[in-house]
Amino acid sequence: MTSLDVSHLSVNFGDRTVIDDLSFSLKEGEIASLLGPSGCGKTTLLRAIAGLLQPREGTIRLGSQLVGLSSVVLPPHKRRTGYVPQQGALFPHLNVAQNIAFGLSKKEFSSSEISGTITEMLSLIGMSGYENQMPTELSGGQQTRVALARALAVKPKMVLLDEPFSALDAELRNELRSEVVALLRAQGTTAILVTHDREEALVSSDKVVLMRAGKIAQYGSPEEVYESPISPSVAVSTGDALVLSAHQSKDGSTSYALSSLDASTDSVSTNNGYVVIRPEEISVSKSSTAGVSGTLIQLDYYGHDAMLVVKLSDSSELIRARVAGPMDFHVGDVVKVEHRGPIRFFADN
Amino acid sequence: MSKSAKSSLANRLLPSRGESVSIHPALISLVGLLLAVVLIPFVYLVIRAFEKPLPEIASLLLRGKTIEVLGTTSALLVIVVLVNIVLGTAIAAGIHFVQLPLAHLLIVPAVLPLAIPSYVFTYTWLALIPSLSGIFAAAFILILTTLPYMLLAILVSLRRIDSGFIEVARTLGLTRTQIFFRVVLPQIRGSISAGALLSGLYVLSDFGAVSLLNVETLTVSIQNMFKSSYDRGAASVIALLLILASVVFIAVDERIKDKKAKENVFKRLSTDDSRIKSLPLKVFVLISIGIYVTLALFIPIYVLLSRFIGNPNPIDVAGLLSAATSTVTVSAFGALIALLFSAPLGFLIATHAGRFSKISERIILVGHALPGVVIGLALVSLGSKLGPIYQSVFLLAFAYALLFLAKAVASMTYSLQLVPQVLKEVAATLGKSKTKVTTSVVFPIALPSIGLGTLLVFLTAMKELPATLMLRPTGMDTLATQIWSYAAINRFNDAAPYALLLVLIAAIPTFLLSLPWGEWDVKTSGSKQRTQQEKIGASRDLT
Repeated sequence: MTSLDVSHLSVNFGDRTVIDDLSFSLKEGEIASLLGPSGCGKTTLLRAIAGLLQPREGTIRLGSQLVGLSSVVLPPHKRRTGYVPQQGALFPHLNVAQNIAFGLSKKEFSSSEISGTITEMLSLIGMSGYENQMPTELSGGQQTRVALARALAVKPKMVLLDEPFSALDAELRNELRSEVVALLRAQGTTAILVTHDREEALVSSDKVVLMRAGKIAQYGSPEEVYESPISPSVAVSTGDALVLSAHQSKDGSTSYALSSLDASTDSVSTNNGYVVIRPEEISVSKSSTAGVSGTLIQLDYYGHDAMLVVKLSDSSELIRARVAGPMDFHVGDVVKVEHRGPIRFFADN
Repeated sequence: MSKSAKSSLANRLLPSRGESVSIHPALISLVGLLLAVVLIPFVYLVIRAFEKPLPEIASLLLRGKTIEVLGTTSALLVIVVLVNIVLGTAIAAGIHFVQLPLAHLLIVPAVLPLAIPSYVFTYTWLALIPSLSGIFAAAFILILTTLPYMLLAILVSLRRIDSGFIEVARTLGLTRTQIFFRVVLPQIRGSISAGALLSGLYVLSDFGAVSLLNVETLTVSIQNMFKSSYDRGAASVIALLLILASVVFIAVDERIKDKKAKENVFKRLSTDDSRIKSLPLKVFVLISIGIYVTLALFIPIYVLLSRFIGNPNPIDVAGLLSAATSTVTVSAFGALIALLFSAPLGFLIATHAGRFSKISERIILVGHALPGVVIGLALVSLGSKLGPIYQSVFLLAFAYALLFLAKAVASMTYSLQLVPQVLKEVAATLGKSKTKVTTSVVFPIALPSIGLGTLLVFLTAMKELPATLMLRPTGMDTLATQIWSYAAINRFNDAAPYALLLVLIAAIPTFLLSLPWGEWDVKTSGSKQRTQQEKIGASRDLT
């Protein structure tokens, strides 16, 4: 069942178009990431879904309910979206329990139901016993968890997370992210996570909405957007990518710096363009005879893997390759590089 | 409907970036009504003044006496403001940059003189040196009275300076003196200007000190004209001149004060080891503070106590109590009205950035330029037409509310702006309507700060003299009027118990305001505490 449907949505700030004719939908229980550089409209899209701003055109549906239309708008307090902004934004004058219970109206719920929900939520986020703490007494990660509990307590139709982990340090960030995602999945909650961290987008979600300048550049599962980017620039935005100039001949074969075919232009080639390769699709060997030879000119060691930069002997192209763990390379080594993966060719327009 | 018409309609009626563009009609009417009320005294004065034929107004303004009074007022203003700027900057910088024992408590005795009104200062010093009189004596008294405003304003902005700037400047080879003039001073310029505005407006509106010291300033002229000749038209003309002087002064401050500087995200506050440890400087700063506290606190209190103890006549306890009760009641009533008035005005200014807000802010600022004498004059003249309200406690309380509305609105606006937009948005997504968001999030968070702002209005109202003299109901004495009537006829012993009691009562809120009270620092959602001093400084635009 469709949980969110955004159709032909446009948002303006004054004369500037921030969201431009954008459409996508999510099924119930799906987690989507909005990924893109700052200023591309991620947060604006999230706020439009929450009802915090008014679109110029288009519709937004939550479940079967039409909540946003350019001329009619359901105010945010009637939408039941759980909004988790950056750093949580806990109410400073309320303690943890009061924060979690904030959205539970006393008219709708008895006080025992409310305290039941508080207990349930606290155990869900692993913070039982913190009821009476004030927000300032909590660490950054705890504040984010309480903010999530506050959003989940009202049983929202969907949860909207606006870079909730951005203020945390790397280690805590990964830990909390997987915790939160597991929690959302366990609850079967539909959620949208705004992020500019490409790994975070890939690892957390069922769907990645790749945004550029107010439009969706690509939409699909993490595997799809990573493995089958629709353009070199999309490929770069989901992970490291090597973009090499290439030619495609009429028979469909592609020649580029690492191809078995001759890379030089021949008369049958009709199409100029680029090939996109992920660095982990390139193997580098000192002993192999197969592949194109070159010289290792740079080595960035990360511990779990390393990025090698190889200058090819017969071409000016620089090849970046990711090699795993313990390895025996040194700058200056003469090596063979080989492309072992799909050939993604993009024609020059 | 065409697309552009549709979008412009949407732009007008609907929120963009979470900020509501539309103002509720009820709020517009309420604010409009309040602004009209605020402007009544001003409009009345204009009408009264221009009932006189123009040549008469011109000759009134241009006669030697008026020019002389204007000259005296300006001279007094310039002396007090200049000395305040130098002393205030030096002492505040000393407290901030020099490592001192009990540094965080030093500000308390330096601020406590705020509890003592200028006429009590004058009277205690007159009791000590009976020959005291003239413009320099008045300047001395008014500096004692207003220096704390300057100190607070500058200290607050000094605390906001990122110590990173200073460290960078030091690594770039600047000496401490160069750092002060090239890094620190440009950043506190706005606060110096704000402190100058506060003390300058105090000088322009002061009546008690100048009158006791036989210095004829504009306020004294107005009061004299009002009392002796009962020529209210002439008094109104001079009152307008006084308002003009205040407006010019405010406009100058508006020019000088810096645009709201963006705060550095990676701000680091000064640490103890970055403070100057030079012994001569320490001694110098401590002696400066010591001299000020002696002159402005110890000597007045000593005089009051010795006069109180040395008084052979029995104390009129009943009179004392009834005066104290009147003071507290009327001031509290006035502070309450100011609070009620400031809620919609502050709410509008804090939440809407449109032209209507701007205009409202300006009008309130003009209200700030109306000294007690002028409000008193306008309400007295108007009051005779008001029937039963005239000479009632209500009219006096209303005068206080008008006089200190700018303070109240500044505090209200500042308090409401403490509440970040994102909290309102989260509350909205959690199912709270706009009204509910205001009552369950905005006001609870702003409340402590609003309360302390109201306390400030209460404190100021208790010390008010000229409007109280003109507007108090027949037979009602406040502490201020009792001190005044005894001191004016040199019966210092009899004035002492009233003055002591006033200072004691006023010292309580002053003390509370001078403490580094914590406030929810919701902007950083961290644990940093925002102090009350910072708040007084931050509401500098109007305080």
